[in-house]
Amino acid sequence: MIVFENVEYVYPNGFKALNGINLEIESGEIIALMGENGAGKTTLLKHLNGLLKPTSGRVLIDGVDTRNSTVASLSRKVGIVFQNAEDMFFSPTISEELAFALNNFNFPEEVVKKRVEWALKFMELEEYRDKSPFLLSGGEKKRLALAIILAWSPDIIALDEPTVGQDILQKEKMIQIIKQANQQGKTIIISSHDVEFIADLNPRIILMSRGRIVKDGSAEEVLTDIQLLHECRLIPPQIVSLTSRLDFLGFKPKLARPEEVAVEIARRLR
Amino acid sequence: MSTILRGLQFYPGKTIIHKLDPRVKLVISLLLMATAMMYIEVTIITIIVVTEAVLAIIAKVFSRWARTVYGAAPLIIFVFIANFLFKLSMPGQSINLQSIYEALQLAYRLVAFLASFSIFFLTTTPEELGMALTKMKVPYMYTFAFISAIRFTPILAEELQSIVDAQKSRGLELEKGNIISRLRRYIPILVPLMVNVLRRSYELAEAIEVKCFGAKKNRTYLRELKMKLKDWTALSISVTLFILAVYIRYFSKIVIP
Repeated sequence: MIVFENVEYVYPNGFKALNGINLEIESGEIIALMGENGAGKTTLLKHLNGLLKPTSGRVLIDGVDTRNSTVASLSRKVGIVFQNAEDMFFSPTISEELAFALNNFNFPEEVVKKRVEWALKFMELEEYRDKSPFLLSGGEKKRLALAIILAWSPDIIALDEPTVGQDILQKEKMIQIIKQANQQGKTIIISSHDVEFIADLNPRIILMSRGRIVKDGSAEEVLTDIQLLHECRLIPPQIVSLTSRLDFLGFKPKLARPEEVAVEIARRLR
Repeated sequence: MSTILRGLQFYPGKTIIHKLDPRVKLVISLLLMATAMMYIEVTIITIIVVTEAVLAIIAKVFSRWARTVYGAAPLIIFVFIANFLFKLSMPGQSINLQSIYEALQLAYRLVAFLASFSIFFLTTTPEELGMALTKMKVPYMYTFAFISAIRFTPILAEELQSIVDAQKSRGLELEKGNIISRLRRYIPILVPLMVNVLRRSYELAEAIEVKCFGAKKNRTYLRELKMKLKDWTALSISVTLFILAVYIRYFSKIVIP
């Protein structure tokens, strides 16, 4: 379980990125952090493994105060996949890249081997195992970055803007992976402003603006609040835009699968 | 380190110092440094630092300027210790107040140096700096390389931070083990950084080639540099003061406390 208690974070240059964040995340939840650039999403993610420590208030990961723990030991529990995958790569081959964190966490050698194999297979990177990570395409690099984190199987997986630069198929694959990891009991926290992607995932949404949480609720609840989304500079999902304009048919803004809405429209027109 | 880098970053403003011709500013900075080179006396260095502080206040960059000097503290302490140890290693020296004082003087002089650099970079845009160098007949190729280096340092510092964050999140511990294993731990930081730098320089090369870099030998500028009355005034005041400083040092018999 993750608890933020009145967390405030001020960067050394004086910018207040988080301002009075109170938050509880149960294990096994899927959470989407949404909001415009500079709302504080990435800053919040960096508090999960202690890269940043709150300037006031506290962050508890399974009861452990992040200020009393090291980044290395917190990372064993919280894996963060950063936006820019290339910031990670330095090994000559992809297998070694995958093994790096496992060795840092002192896994026994056979386990490292097994986990590397599993991660290569799970992310469909087997054929590249002996290639340099820099030779991968953009989408593959993102997949490798995620595979690196999944390899040590942290309980909490945080993804910073996972869909940037991904095409539609890769996004679908990403949704599958996230759901699969969640079914294995992982807590997933995603920061994103890809509204359609989040709508498909249908998670609990935490909407942020200027370092504060402005709304915390189900996807249905948050993504149909067009006024609020507008204030946070987000465009509602297309299906919500559509249903909000069908008020003459008695529709209310609603988050649903396109097929359901189509059937509903046909029924009301009849 | 990043504090020093930030202190060298241009900060926009509209004060008289900002509007001064960059060449004049460069000359003033160099003269201040030259003066600091001539003198070792604490009193004179204090006068120079105070002058620089006044200039920083006029330019409204005092807090940033002070932070640069403050950020350079580790470097200054290092210079102090190095000088002190060097003095000790000379034959016939023992730890006494005199040697500590001399090492302190050398370290203090560094403050004057850095402070002078800092004011110049805080109040001069990279473009102005480029124009100044071009006017001084430095080939534009070199000028451009120099400006790019300045312009990219803050970005580099930011990138370094995100790489360190990413690797720490993979369980990398930089503060563990002996010196050799510590250096080895920096490989996961340095490789991605180098790759990023190389990639960006290729991208930059392509971008400037698309814009016909080097197609014409003589560049023209939207805003041409022209020495105005205030530039000449500032220049003559500082040159006069510098000549005075040279005279006092080498030709007069005034004893400096």
